[in-house]
Formats: sequence, structure tokens, C-alpha cells
Amino acid sequence: MDAISKKKKRRELARLKELKKQGLLAHGQAGQIPVAQAHTKQKTSPAEHHEQGKGSFFSPFLHPIRSCYEHHYKKLLIIPMLILILAIGQIAFQVATTGDFIHKGISLKGGITVTIPGTTVDLDQLEQTLATAFPEYEIGLRTLTREGRTSGFVLEADITDQQKIDENIALLEKETGMTRDSYTIESVGSSLGESFFKETLISLLIAFVFMACVVFFYFRQPIPCLAVVLAAGSDIIVTIAVVNVIGLKISTAGIAAFLMLIGYSVDTDILLSTRVLKRREGTVLQAVYGSVKTGLTMMITTIVAVVVGLFITESEVLRQIMLIVLIGLMVDPIMTWIQNAGLLRWYLEVQEAKKKQE
Amino acid sequence: MAVVDKLKRVFTRIRVIILVIALILAVLAIHPQADTEGVAIRTIMKDSAAFEAGMQGPKATDTPTSREVIKSVNNIPIKNVAEFTAQIEKLQADDTAQIKTDRGFYRLIIKSDNLTGKKQDVGVKVYPVPKTNIRKGLDLEGGTRVLLKPETKLALQDMDSLLDNMKQRLNLFGLTDIVVRATKDLSGNQYVLVEIAGANEEEVKDLLAKQGKFEAKIGNDTAFVGGRDIVYVCRSAECAGIDPQVGCGPASAGPEGSGQFFCRFRFSISLTPEAAQHHADITKDIPVVSAEPGARDAYLEKPLDLYLDNEKVDTLQIGEDLKGRAVTEIAISGSGTGVNRETAVEDALKSMKRLQTVLITGSLPIKLEIVKTDEISPVLGSEFIRNSFIVGFFALIAVVAVLVVVYRKLLITIPITITLLSEILILLGFAALIGWELDLAAIAGLIIAIGTGVDDQIVMIDEALSKKSQEIYNWKQRIKNAFIIIMAAYFTTVVAMIPLLFAGAGLLKGFAFTSIVGISIGVFITRPAFAAFIEELLKE
Repeated sequence: MDAISKKKKRRELARLKELKKQGLLAHGQAGQIPVAQAHTKQKTSPAEHHEQGKGSFFSPFLHPIRSCYEHHYKKLLIIPMLILILAIGQIAFQVATTGDFIHKGISLKGGITVTIPGTTVDLDQLEQTLATAFPEYEIGLRTLTREGRTSGFVLEADITDQQKIDENIALLEKETGMTRDSYTIESVGSSLGESFFKETLISLLIAFVFMACVVFFYFRQPIPCLAVVLAAGSDIIVTIAVVNVIGLKISTAGIAAFLMLIGYSVDTDILLSTRVLKRREGTVLQAVYGSVKTGLTMMITTIVAVVVGLFITESEVLRQIMLIVLIGLMVDPIMTWIQNAGLLRWYLEVQEAKKKQE
Repeated sequence: MAVVDKLKRVFTRIRVIILVIALILAVLAIHPQADTEGVAIRTIMKDSAAFEAGMQGPKATDTPTSREVIKSVNNIPIKNVAEFTAQIEKLQADDTAQIKTDRGFYRLIIKSDNLTGKKQDVGVKVYPVPKTNIRKGLDLEGGTRVLLKPETKLALQDMDSLLDNMKQRLNLFGLTDIVVRATKDLSGNQYVLVEIAGANEEEVKDLLAKQGKFEAKIGNDTAFVGGRDIVYVCRSAECAGIDPQVGCGPASAGPEGSGQFFCRFRFSISLTPEAAQHHADITKDIPVVSAEPGARDAYLEKPLDLYLDNEKVDTLQIGEDLKGRAVTEIAISGSGTGVNRETAVEDALKSMKRLQTVLITGSLPIKLEIVKTDEISPVLGSEFIRNSFIVGFFALIAVVAVLVVVYRKLLITIPITITLLSEILILLGFAALIGWELDLAAIAGLIIAIGTGVDDQIVMIDEALSKKSQEIYNWKQRIKNAFIIIMAAYFTTVVAMIPLLFAGAGLLKGFAFTSIVGISIGVFITRPAFAAFIEELLKE
């Protein structure tokens, strides 16, 4: 341990010397900073934001909130915490009222999904006809859109009895005049739906645990690791709550979307934490801002791709995935650059204080 | 000139050479076809005119571009499925049709139904010639997917014999381009997944779900059972089909004017000598009921009851002459109904086929429950592929536009775009190579891989070009820094996807597998090449 820190110290000294020689060292930095702590010491310096990110594409947008972000990061932590608590409240409410923490779609509940492309029928009337014929089931009709236009419709019903399914299909064929090869039926038995739900949930949990293990292995510092895991977890929890509020019914593909979200959300957190913890250049805030710039570029490219997909795709499966990823991506910056960054800065500050006491 | 020099240097870098080799291999694996005229053979129905002419359906393991393609019918060139159907419809019973494929020449004699005199189905099912070796999943191509759950847990070898039996059943039905696979989920539940590409095969569902326990009983004694006791089931027109003696007619049992038609079918089977002897032992003590006036023959007091999966499907009178005799040839019969003569014939023949199949294959070792069926319209699939291309194209443009605005340098956006496209190409090549099917879930996985790819390259660009980094680290270190972040992100995504490989009867496996393969290709092939790319192009 001692040997390592000595080595580090030497390297840092050499670096500073080099910087001084090149005249690149910031004014306040010269002489006053004990080596090997350049990174942590600077974080509260009030002057530093002025030299930050000049010419950066995003700098004009960041300016008004910058000061608040730099000086009140602990208070800002209240925002993600509040959002997280609200989300947990929503999910608790959901469980209390429906028994499940999400609205389960047909593929997780059991039932049939019939996709009929290219038909234009009066959906309201059809819905009524079906509702009168099958009063004991919940039958929903939705229009399909593709590239902004109506391109058919989807019927979802929680019918799992084969005979009833056949009757339903027969009625549907009669009402819409569709032929056997022109539509798609997917039917899921209720037992399978139930086990699917359980399975995907387990895999989501295992995925999360695995991800946490990799993060711990990678950073090896408990608190920053917890911050990363908390950020990813909060992102998912808040996204679930938002999805519940807008009333989206989750299918198996939706669960896949949450898995995607683990990946995307952790990426930005890893980016941030690596830059802050593993780099020696600049200050903590500089590292944070650097990761904000990279992270925002990443986020914006993903968002535009997802939004384009959302508007153009005609697959309900992909649309749901895109919608969930989009919501998650909107939540992610709060969790990454307010929550995770705030916790990291706080952690480093405490470390710093400890070091001073010693 | 400087740019040309730079590019020259780029292509001498080993990482870029690896990328180029991977791209060439991918194109070879995808094997794009210029000539797609004609129609590819999907299935040849057993005992059909095509089957007897020696035509064979493809195996599921055949690569898409290696499938037999029909080029002409009766010397009229065939361009697409519609033209093929039109030519086949023109054929009359007892006509001879000449079908030319890319492999050979077949002479088909169109059979006629011995009862109705109408021509029988030629027995060829076709689909558009595949343009590449990329296999499209059911979501994209249309077809039937059935997920079945065994009632109790099966040992490995029982599962194998179950799968063999099911495959045999489907093959007897004329379906060869099929997938029958055992899958599991995280809780250890076993499933059997059956996928049949192409058109909807409704009767297949019944065929799969039926355990097919066939029993012929006289009173309470079992005379013989399906599979074990039966050595031969006749399926040719001479000894199987609509019963010419009974034929079809309006159902007498139904209320007058119900419009129900009723048809009887019959086919002969051969029993093993042991089963025939057993049959004789049972019948020898059964008294004969004397023939009523008008009845053809005298028969035994107890009939032969046929049970399929413990459900009585038919009752046959046993002729007096059979009493106590060990006959190995037995006629099995049954019936079908429909709203008119034609549908009744169809229904009867369908039931016959099903019964024949289970008699040949015997019963499955266990009862199966259908837990999920998907019948996907081929129309929807082809529309979806077109739509996916549009989505991909516009998403790419949008991403590139953002990158142009952020970096304002074509030297950055062009390599990113090239890397993205090569990543997709290599992934598709890999899928074609190992026969991985691309379906909706796989497309979602592809989206993840591409999204992660863009993110990683942004990290690399920012690390490489950041002013702060440049002050401290040299180029190599900066790229290394970028890779530290990229690898951490890579491993978290991979481990997050691993559970999904095993969850939920493998139905989301395509998603997990494609995303893992996609990001692995990115991290190990395209990302290093991208690093070399930008190093040569941007390093000052």
C-alpha cells in the first residue's frame, strides 16, 4: 500500500513538474496543492467553473445552473431522492391496488393478441360487438400506426380457453372479412404467462446483481460502487413508476427493455465514476463536466435513434422497448449527474477530511 | 494527398486488416444472391404427386440459399409465388406436369381423388427465393410456433424420444422445414418448442398436442394399441381414403336442415402376428348377433371400439367371419363432418391423416399441454422487414446528424458511420454462418449493440480529443483510458444479458444472444479498428 502511494506520489510530482514547464498549470494550482491530492482538493474551489468547458457544445445550456450545481450539490441530492421516493410510493400504490407492481400485458398474463394489418374497420363498433359476445373477458382494440399512418389494428383479450379463442377469432373474421393468412394470432396460456413473468423478473434481478458485481470488481471502493448501483437501480425504479402512470401494459419485450436500460444507465455511471476516481487530470468537477459532455452526447444520439424508431416502427414489441428505453434515458441524467456525481463528490470530500485529520 | 497517405496508413494497421477480413467473411457467409427468379421449395407433402415424382423438401439445417428453386412449370418460366400458383391451378387431374428446378427435372402425374374425381393437391409448397443466407425468424417470415409443456418432468432420454416422435409425426405430415427443440427456463421447467416456417398449419397444433395413445378395445379388453402392435399403415389411395361404400351425405343424426354433411374414411393397417392372435383370442368367445334382414353380414355382439387418448373416436362392427381368426389386416375407419360435402371430405381426410400419423408413430411418452401458440401472418412479416430498413435508415441519419452537430468534423462522423455499418454487417454474417434466426427479439438485440457501439465511439473520441487528457496522456494512453470505460460497460451489459439466455423457455434468448454477440463484435473487432482509424486520421 505504502509502496504504491509512494509510486503514485512520484508520478504525480513528475507530472506537475512537466505541466509547470509547459506553463499549463492553472494559477491557483501552482505550489499550493499537495501532490497526489490534486484531484480531490480542488473540488470546492469557487473559481474553477470559469475555466470549464469553454467552446463546448453544451456550455451555453449549462451556464445558469452551473453555479447551483457546483456549490449546492448536497442539497441537489434531495431531487433524485424525492423522485425515487415518489416512484417507490407509486409502485407501492400499484401493488396495493392491482396486486402487481406493473400493468401486466397479455404475454405476462395469458390471453390472445391478434394483429390485423391493413384493415380499416370501425373499431368502436367492433369493440362493442366483441364485448357483447364475450362479456366475461377484457377485450381491447388498438389501432396500429406505421410511419404516422393507421395501418391496421391489434386486438388483445385475456381469453385463454381454446374454444372461446376459436369463437372469438371466428367472430372477428366475420366482422372484418379478414382471411386466415393475413393476420397474426399469438396466444399464451395463463400458467405460462405467470411463469414468464416470474422468470423475467428473476432474470432482471440476477442481471442487476451481476451488474453490481462487475461494478464492485471494477472500482473496488464500496461507496462509489453503491452510488453506481443506486443510480442504475433508481433509474429503473423511476422508469417503472412512469410507465405505470402512463398506463403502459408491459409484455415480455418490456422486461427486455428494462434490461437494456440497466446497460445504458450503468454506462454513463461507469463513465462518470471512472473519470472521477481513476483519472489524475484536472479536478473532480472537471472530470464531472467532461463526463457530462460525453454522456449527453451519448444520450442524445440514443434518444434521437429511439424517437425515430418510436415514430416509424410498426412493431408493437419494438415500440414498447423504445418507449421504455426513452423514459429511462430521460431519467438517467438526474440519477447520474445529480445523484451519482453528488454522492461521489460527497464521498471524496469526506475522504479528504479524513486524510487531513490524520 | 495527405488524406490518401493517411488512408494508406490506416489500411496497413493490423486492427483495420482484421476488420476488413471480418467484413469479407461476413459477406461470404451472407452470400447475397443476384439471381432470385423462381420459387424455393418449402415442403413436399408425403404421398403427393410431387413426392412420387421424387421431389424432396429441404431440411431445416439447409442454408437458405442452398434450397432447391423451381424455375419453370411445363416450360413456362416461373418468376414468383403468384406465377407458380397460377400455373399449378391450371393443371387438371391426370395431367402430366413438368417441373424444372435448379437441380433437375421432375415429371408429375396429377392425381385425382378417387371419390370426387377432382385433382388432388400437387403437394408442393413454395416461398420466394431467399436473397441471402440470413435466416428470418417466424416473426419476420410467418409461420406457426407452438410451445408445449410436458405434464411431468422427463429424463433426458425420454425427452429425446419425445422430440424424435414429434419430428417423425411432422415429417409424416410432409413438414420437413421445422424446428423441434427442448427448452428450459430458470425454474427448471421443461418445454418443447416447435416452429414451422411459412404458412399457418392449423392441424399441426392438434397433431402435437395429442399424445396419440391409440387403443382398440372389444368390451373391456384391449385388442391392440397404436405403435407397438401395428407394423404397417396403408396411406396410398388404393387402401386409404373416403370409404366408397359409405361415402358422404347429409348427417342423419343432426336436425333436419342443419346443413351438416358427414363423410366416412377408412384405411387398412397390418397388425403384428401376436396382436392378431390376441385379437382372435378375445373374439372367439363373443356370440354372433344374427343378421337382420337387409343387413349385409352377421356380426359379433361386441363391437371394436377405437379410442384416441381415452376418447372413443369410432365403433366398428366385427364381421362374423372374423370371429376367432387371427387376421393381421384390419380396416380402421372414422368420420368427418362439415357444412357441405367438400368441407366434410376435407375434415374426414384430415382426421384420417392424423389417425394414420399417430398409429405409425405410436403414442408420445407423455401428455403435453400447449401453453403458447403463435400463428404469424407471412404478410405482416415481409411488411415488417421493409419497415425495419426504414427505421434503421432514419435512425442512422438522425444519429449521424447529431454527431455532425456535436463534433463538426467529417473525419469523426465518417469513421463512426463506417464502423456502425460494419458492425451490423459482421453481426448479420455471423448469424448467417451459425444459422441464427433473426426475429423481432434479435432486432431489439441488434439495436442495443448498435446503440452501445455509438456510445463507445463517443467515449473514445472524447477521451482522445479532450484537451485536458491531451495535456497529460499520450495518444496510446488516452485510447487505453477509453477502453477501460468501454470494457467496464461491456462487461456490465454482458452479465446483465446472461440470465435471459436461460429464462422463460428461451423465447428471449434471441434478444440476449444477439446483443451479447453484437457488443462483443464491437468491442473486439470494430472498436480496435476504429481506434486505429482515428489515430491515423486525427492524431496530430
